[in-house]
Amino acid sequence: MRALRLGRWLQAGGLPVPPARAVLTAPGTSPAPVPPRPAWQHGEPRPTPQQKVTVEVLDHLEHLALVDFRDAEGVERLQKAIQFADQLRDVNTDGVEPMDSVLEDRCLYLRDDDVTEGNCTNELLKNAREKVEEYFVAPPGNIPLPKLEERETFLQSS
Amino acid sequence: MAVAARGCGGVWRRAWQRGAGGPSPAPRGQRAVACNARGGAVPAGKSGLAPWEPVVGLEIHAQISSNSKLFSGSQVQFAAPPNSLVSFFDASLPGTLPVLNRRCVEAAVMTGLALNCSINKKSLFDRKHYFYADLPAGYQITQQRVPIAVNGSLSYSLCIDNKMSQMVTKTVRIKQIQLEQDSGKSLHDDTRSQTLVDLNRAGVGLMEVVMEPDMCCGEEAAAAVRELQLILQTLGSSQAVMAEGQLRVDANVSVHHPGEPYGVRTEVKNINSIRFLAKAVDYEIQRQIEELESGGTILNETRAFDSKLGCTVPMRDKEGKQDYRFMPEPNLPPLILYDAKSLPANMNHQQVVNIDLIHERLPDLPSVKRAKLVERYGILPEHSFTLLNEDGLTEFFENVVKQTQMKPKKVIGWILNDLLSYLKQHSLTVKESPVSSFLLADLLNLLEKKEISSTAAKQVLAELWKGEGKTPLEIVKEKKLELIQDQKELEQICQAVIDGQENEVMAIKAGNLKVLNKLIGLVQRETRGRSNPVVVKQLLEKKLSQ
Amino acid sequence: MLRASLREVSAALKEGHVTPTELCQRCLSLIKSTKFLNAYITVAEETALKQAEESEKRYRRGQPLGVLDGIPIAVKDNFNTAGIETTCASNMLKGYISPYNATAVQKLLDQGAVLLGKTNLDEFAMGSGSTDGVFGPVRNPWSYSRQYKEKFVPKSHSQDEKSNWVITGGSSGGSAAAVSSFTCFAALGSDTGGSTRNPAAHCGVVGLKPTYGLISRHGLIPLVNSMDVPGILTRCVDDAAVVLGSLAGHDPKDSTTIQDDFKPFELPNVADVSKLSIGIPKEYHAPGLSSEILALWSKAADLFKNAGAKVIEVSLPHTCYSIVCYHVLCTAEVASNMARFDGLEYGHRSDMNKSTESMYAATRREGFNDVVRGRILSGNYFLLKQNYENYFIKAQKVRRLIANDFVKVFRSGVDILLTPTTLCDAVPYMEFIKEDNRTRSAQDDILTQAANMAGLPAINVPTALSERGLPIGLQFIGRSFQEKQLLTVAKWFEKQVKFPMIQLEEVKRHDHDAFQHQKSASFS
Repeated sequence: MRALRLGRWLQAGGLPVPPARAVLTAPGTSPAPVPPRPAWQHGEPRPTPQQKVTVEVLDHLEHLALVDFRDAEGVERLQKAIQFADQLRDVNTDGVEPMDSVLEDRCLYLRDDDVTEGNCTNELLKNAREKVEEYFVAPPGNIPLPKLEERETFLQSS
Repeated sequence: MAVAARGCGGVWRRAWQRGAGGPSPAPRGQRAVACNARGGAVPAGKSGLAPWEPVVGLEIHAQISSNSKLFSGSQVQFAAPPNSLVSFFDASLPGTLPVLNRRCVEAAVMTGLALNCSINKKSLFDRKHYFYADLPAGYQITQQRVPIAVNGSLSYSLCIDNKMSQMVTKTVRIKQIQLEQDSGKSLHDDTRSQTLVDLNRAGVGLMEVVMEPDMCCGEEAAAAVRELQLILQTLGSSQAVMAEGQLRVDANVSVHHPGEPYGVRTEVKNINSIRFLAKAVDYEIQRQIEELESGGTILNETRAFDSKLGCTVPMRDKEGKQDYRFMPEPNLPPLILYDAKSLPANMNHQQVVNIDLIHERLPDLPSVKRAKLVERYGILPEHSFTLLNEDGLTEFFENVVKQTQMKPKKVIGWILNDLLSYLKQHSLTVKESPVSSFLLADLLNLLEKKEISSTAAKQVLAELWKGEGKTPLEIVKEKKLELIQDQKELEQICQAVIDGQENEVMAIKAGNLKVLNKLIGLVQRETRGRSNPVVVKQLLEKKLSQ
Repeated sequence: MLRASLREVSAALKEGHVTPTELCQRCLSLIKSTKFLNAYITVAEETALKQAEESEKRYRRGQPLGVLDGIPIAVKDNFNTAGIETTCASNMLKGYISPYNATAVQKLLDQGAVLLGKTNLDEFAMGSGSTDGVFGPVRNPWSYSRQYKEKFVPKSHSQDEKSNWVITGGSSGGSAAAVSSFTCFAALGSDTGGSTRNPAAHCGVVGLKPTYGLISRHGLIPLVNSMDVPGILTRCVDDAAVVLGSLAGHDPKDSTTIQDDFKPFELPNVADVSKLSIGIPKEYHAPGLSSEILALWSKAADLFKNAGAKVIEVSLPHTCYSIVCYHVLCTAEVASNMARFDGLEYGHRSDMNKSTESMYAATRREGFNDVVRGRILSGNYFLLKQNYENYFIKAQKVRRLIANDFVKVFRSGVDILLTPTTLCDAVPYMEFIKEDNRTRSAQDDILTQAANMAGLPAINVPTALSERGLPIGLQFIGRSFQEKQLLTVAKWFEKQVKFPMIQLEEVKRHDHDAFQHQKSASFS
């Protein structure tokens, strides 16, 4: 599997951002300014990250996400995803504010306090596989899931 | 419930006494716990053990009083058929998006201003993730990074002794107020091993008010919450009725020795009334002290208050630690508020929330109202508390004062002692009172004009209470309660009593003036309460001196 | 008739050359005979015919609602459609019938459009091939074109024409294939990292990604809320402008739509590009860009230059980080957006009954494919308290750098950027599935993703056929909310390149009309 790697010429700590360069070509004379060679390369594979994904972290994640790994492949997938994301470290973001959304300079639309929705119990319940009278119904309380080691047998029996 | 919080004025006591004499441990949670009115620990008591300083902070969720929900247009209403007040967004149908209700913003700004907060002109929304049956989206939209209001304060008053004669004002800092969604309701059906989910409440707007740990006991916590409740009700930003879940309080409690760092705190939930709040906090303080004194440790856990047993119990511990994985809510750009200076020129006024305008329109807060009542009517501060504490009572009082010549200082007695106790006895609100302010004023006028005695007045009130539609005057006539105006008649009765009580007369003439009261009493009885005791006394004295 | 453009067929409807019902029936019939493409998940035959009938009544009265009245369209199956199944190509929503229409869908219906059905996609729009949905992969109609078949050289004995079909690209592959195979005149897709432009390029159709905030996302089941936009797929740029005109504008149900007024526009037939400054971002010569596409890109630049435009090289230095950045932000949002799928109120629900948590876990295991589950786990990892700063916030900062790159370039006087859309032409399915989803997405989105980061409008214009006889498209990226300028340039370019029409047997058989389109000198 070919992981996306960063350019060799990027060092830890990041390079300063080069300014936009304008290469003007007069009409009809020189070839168009499409760069003939790739402007960057995929870099070397990164060394394995310092923090490997531990069983505790896995277990924690599974409980938080309520999605399980099923097998070692899933674990490896997560490991690779983290490794991939670690490439962000190479970018110099000093003094840069995080961006929530491109609409950060716009202001939030406010709605009038009118009752315009609701009263559609039947429509809502129609899509629920299980219901009791007009209630949605769930199994009893939040009984915690078994620990990771116990999980294998638990899943096999379910 | 009607009176202002009773005071903290004693020493932290142990659950049981140590030392000489057999100890008989008081049942847990029932020993009154108190702390110094100045909020600090009290020097070691008799047993010589180091004193404890309890620390109490509160997280209060107030349901915003609005027609529709925070991010959707479904109705806000307490009782309704299950899942009838639920929109597609509330049910987390995929593809639905939140749209902010302007009224909720205004409510939060009002509340922030009333609590002396700085209003953040730009605030942000975040997602707080956890799974629960009554949280359909798997996350709650709240304001974790930049809430709408910060750094305020709330002043509240306590009586520092049981006599209710001296009140002291305390302040608690408000850390922040944030807007967030309420969750739905889970009804656990253990018999059929299932949970029924009703989403009517899901998405209703909440203001979470965080009070810093500046309080030190149940009474303070209760008083602070009570005052907040009054403020919210005065503003109209929340109806704040705890019984209907419009005001929910979680308490954070810890104890430590003065001078040492704060102890581990526990969170106490499931508190359904202000009275239970005080109990729960005091119980928890006591529990922690005992635990620590017997060498144990306090766990950073969540506990539920069991009102039947009067104690806190650990809530079922979730396996592993919780991580809410806060993330900015991408569907809501920043909330921008304006003031007179920053008001944009061409903006649609429906899109503008003007902090200054809201400030101008704030009604008188409870503290201001109380001060005005005291000043205007010459009543005591404690009285003003009681008036404001009871819904509609102030209005009632003022209406009576308007319609009677009796001085307010005297009227207040009738309101607080007589009317209010009747209401309490019969569990009625002021609005439900069978005795209207008009009727009471009428009655008090009769008293003021000395047409009846105060004893008679109380009898009339008892009759009025039956709500049979009779006026005070009619009752007086019916029961023949009017004071005897005929001097001669009175004199005759007095004489008759004197004639019949030789021994007492001799005692009086001998100098024992107290016995005179007995004669007055006899005359009263004879006249069936229709004699003015002052006049009777004068007549008797006159006769006896002859 | 089916090969006509939207505007052409609309004119035909108005003049009575064809009725909405006829048109609808023809499209439905073609859908049936192109079923092997697997472009549609649901075909809403009954409702479509009803809508066509209503449209016909309006035409007879001489009161059509507008250009879109009676026009058959298709909608990607991640848009809510009331009464018609919405599945997102996932087991989680199989059988889910939404009670409401997405705003974009509603707007089209309000204009009288005829909704033929819901198109296929990668599960929950995660993928760049339209191969990872539970209803199977979508086949690129060009796999069955004369142009491709003519050029096809089997590499071994085992390979034959039938098994060597190529992918559509994704994730809006179904919509692209539907438009490309003439079963509809316009289709809605979605675009989060290139999901509309990528399949547009591979299927030889116009794919427009509007500015973020222009078209309502209400009812579009989200992948990444801060980057998703509804995408428009049509056969020509003019058609895209028409559809855009009916969709754009503030929606009070979507707080991320801008409140400014939007005025629908018509594109000029003749445009003067000599006043324009076209930017060539050098980083878009990314590793792996095929020499064919490089040559086309160069020729396109020349085209503008020869027309008198100023064509300059510019730099968007953070382009190479956009995929990593997207990886973190996308998985984090996915982790959050997918939290609502628990089976309680709608969707698949597991029979597991021991506790709420175990029911949720089982439902999500059964309902989501590996790709989705993998992203949920990664996303949650990046959102953990201990990781939030280093991953999520870091990615948000890189996002700003990427967005600022564009700001700087546009501020320096550049009007439009010209770039390739994909690294190469469509690959055969058998080859595509050899690599896993994340890797593929990472590779294929490199040229399109940054525009989503910055919220900018971008459009794929089919340019020429590759050596293998498959479409290649080029991309134009414009300034925020300057769709008119963007589409004007795109239309001019489209006119110059005269991209050839696909030659499909099935369509020929269906199309009796004499609507011919120029197929002479193609651009390559």
